[in-house]
Amino acid sequence: MSANYALEARDLSVRYGGVTANDGVSMHLAQGEIRGLIGPNGAGKSTFIDALSGRRAIAAGSVHLAGSDITALGVVERRLLGLSRSFQRTSIFPGMRIGVQMELAASKIPDADPDEVMRELGLDRLAGRVADEISYGDQRRLDIALALVGRPSVLLLDEPMAGLSVEESMKLARHLRNLARNWGVSVLLVEHDMEVVFGISDSITVLETGKLLAEGTPDEVRAHPKVREAYLGSAA
Amino acid sequence: MIAIQILNGLVYGSLLMIVASGLVLIYGLRRVVNFAHGSLFMLGAYIAYAASLQFGFGGGLLAAVAALAAVGFCLDRFGFRLLQDRDPLTVMLVTFGLLLVFEDVVQSIWGKQSYSLAAPEALQGTVDLFGSPFPVYRLAIVAVGALVAACLVGWLRYSRIGLFIRGASTDPVTTAMQGVNTDRLSGGVVAVGAALAGLAGVVSGPFLSLSPTMGSDILIDSFVVVVIGGLGSFAGAFVAAMILGQVQALGAVYLPDLAALLPFALMTAVLIWRPSGLSGSRV
Amino acid sequence: MSAIITATALEDTQVKRNPGVMRLCAMAAAAVAVGLTVNMSVTSNGLMSLLTQATIYAVFALGLGFLLKQNGMVSFGHALFFGMAGYLVGAAVTLTGWPVGMVVVLTVAAIGMFAFGLALVIVRVPGIAFGMLTLAIGQSFYVLVSKSRGFTGGADGMNINFPAQVFGMELASFQNPSSMFLICWLVLVALVLLLALLLRTGFGPLTEAIRENEERARFIGFRTLLPRAAVFAVSAMVTAVGGVLSALYTGFVSPESLHWSVSGTVLIMVVLGGSRTLWGPAVGAVVYYLFRDFVGEHTTHWMSIFGVSLIAVIVLWPAGIAGGVMRAATSLQRAAARRLA
Repeated sequence: MSANYALEARDLSVRYGGVTANDGVSMHLAQGEIRGLIGPNGAGKSTFIDALSGRRAIAAGSVHLAGSDITALGVVERRLLGLSRSFQRTSIFPGMRIGVQMELAASKIPDADPDEVMRELGLDRLAGRVADEISYGDQRRLDIALALVGRPSVLLLDEPMAGLSVEESMKLARHLRNLARNWGVSVLLVEHDMEVVFGISDSITVLETGKLLAEGTPDEVRAHPKVREAYLGSAA
Repeated sequence: MIAIQILNGLVYGSLLMIVASGLVLIYGLRRVVNFAHGSLFMLGAYIAYAASLQFGFGGGLLAAVAALAAVGFCLDRFGFRLLQDRDPLTVMLVTFGLLLVFEDVVQSIWGKQSYSLAAPEALQGTVDLFGSPFPVYRLAIVAVGALVAACLVGWLRYSRIGLFIRGASTDPVTTAMQGVNTDRLSGGVVAVGAALAGLAGVVSGPFLSLSPTMGSDILIDSFVVVVIGGLGSFAGAFVAAMILGQVQALGAVYLPDLAALLPFALMTAVLIWRPSGLSGSRV
Repeated sequence: MSAIITATALEDTQVKRNPGVMRLCAMAAAAVAVGLTVNMSVTSNGLMSLLTQATIYAVFALGLGFLLKQNGMVSFGHALFFGMAGYLVGAAVTLTGWPVGMVVVLTVAAIGMFAFGLALVIVRVPGIAFGMLTLAIGQSFYVLVSKSRGFTGGADGMNINFPAQVFGMELASFQNPSSMFLICWLVLVALVLLLALLLRTGFGPLTEAIRENEERARFIGFRTLLPRAAVFAVSAMVTAVGGVLSALYTGFVSPESLHWSVSGTVLIMVVLGGSRTLWGPAVGAVVYYLFRDFVGEHTTHWMSIFGVSLIAVIVLWPAGIAGGVMRAATSLQRAAARRLA
């Protein structure tokens, strides 16, 4: 059963200081699935991604990648096993050429092809440019490209569309769809733009104050009374 | 004998605590590691010395603290504020440049010889402690240290500014988002930090002697304190200052050959155990 | 068509950034020629000895600058490795009678290992605390050595009685400004070349990436502790070579060479020269010495002057001399290209 999932979190709890940022959250991602993770500010979405990727220590629960328990592994091991992520605040190597940093990212993973990723995300023509000279939208895509080198099985995206124009967001959404379909990458997508999330996700998880509020297909979640009350209602 | 050494450790620890809490204040609000902090300590001592020739110890103390507060305010207004968008390393190097300037200024005015600042008459004698005479003045240093610590704790815990400082030193981004105007606070806070360095300089005057190297000596020890305590942590700095005071005092007597390496050894041990210092969480 | 243009542009920029080995060797040969010219044209003994001193400190600055360039970290305690090299060489020569060449190699290797072990502990602290730590560590060794008794001579320093033959040459060639300048210059050029070649391997981009964004480096699958410690160790070893040269030149080593003010002075050279290139700090050292010699004749306040110039350079001209030179070279190249087109 669980071995079928690309990524699974069981009863994950994260605390800092006295605050419980994630409280017993469970979630799973099937291969090639795009799952939207939504919730109001402070719901614990970024914390959840940090916990899954190993950036933040968890207090209880476990994380499983393709059926094997990776709870005890560090950031580096998780990446090498195929669990990759992007960052809410663009995290790239600003002073380095795009081609050089992509090649560096590929050098750790056997048979990784950086050019393929750059083509897929439309960065190939920028290979010779230094990262802090390219546009903000390109930098956001570079962040994702660094995470995609070596075709990871799971990609965690923390607000990839933040700060992008509508047009750029739509373009990025198409790229994500293609990745899930063609490469079988499973994507967990934290995003504020509801139109995008409901548009491209196969399933949606809703968090509120660190707890799981609802889960299901976009239509189910949209119709869920608690979600309407807590989130969509207040937003609309 | 050992009791006296522990007491001496307490004296030096109190001085370190005052200096280090100034460093932590400045770091907390501005994210600046102030390499000129030892120079401020030295400047305080020399100003007090000059003023005390005319107005006695009390006058010297007031003059030094007031002068250093002014220096601190200018440092923030014409230095840190203008450089706040620059890389922290850049600002660190700027404070290093200031250190060179301050040391040169002190040397050009007072030369390389050492001076000693006379303790106020009321505190000049000794008392019998554990069967041997102990200078009253050193006990007064401990009292000043305790007073400063109490004031700082009260200020940081119960005032609005204190709340901001604690907030800013743990999480500057969030504090900035909550609309705290760091610029308005920091002139005063850096002034307090510099005044504390000056105060420590004055108080140490009758205990250590005044020399152009006194600044870098105390700077190094207070860096050790701040690193062991965890950057930006007051509680950590208090504890670390007391520990280092004891290590210095006891080391000087029981391990004289290796005393110089003890702070280094202590620091290495703490950092292996906890890379971000006593108070820091594991990263 | 446009693909061809971008491809050539890419190649072009890669060449500019990563000059080929041939080009590096040509530049090294040119640098050697400059050294020879200086050596032949300078007749004043005073100036020659100033330049020798400057070249020794250029090696030191090369090491410190390498740390800043590849690791983004500022060390205020590198004098530790400079002075320690002198003491280790002196102690080994005095106590063992091993050939000096072997002593030198062992010394540099020992300092590399020591620095590597130390780095494993201290590079984990945040960048800003690192500067404070290095200052404290360096200074504790200064105090230790200046208070020590026995053959190290405590605060008075230690005379080193080198044998008459060092590296198969007369000792005198190491202690005469003119020939020593040439030796130091060759060592400097060789070290710059070696470091440049090292950075052409995967080590260059990896450490650059870690400096720019350590967390991201970990999230693309690289452990960052060992590479950072390696940068620190290489930097310490280069600095140690400077310390060895100084010991050979003067036949003497004193605790003052371990003092934090030495680290601080060399840091000024690094900032002045600019740490974005390997050779910048070395240029900074030479400029520093010439400038200090000039200023020293007119005033005793050179500390203030250096403090103020340090601040001015940092604030107004963060890329230092090397940055200015590189900018000028780029715009010249562009102008030339425009004329050709």
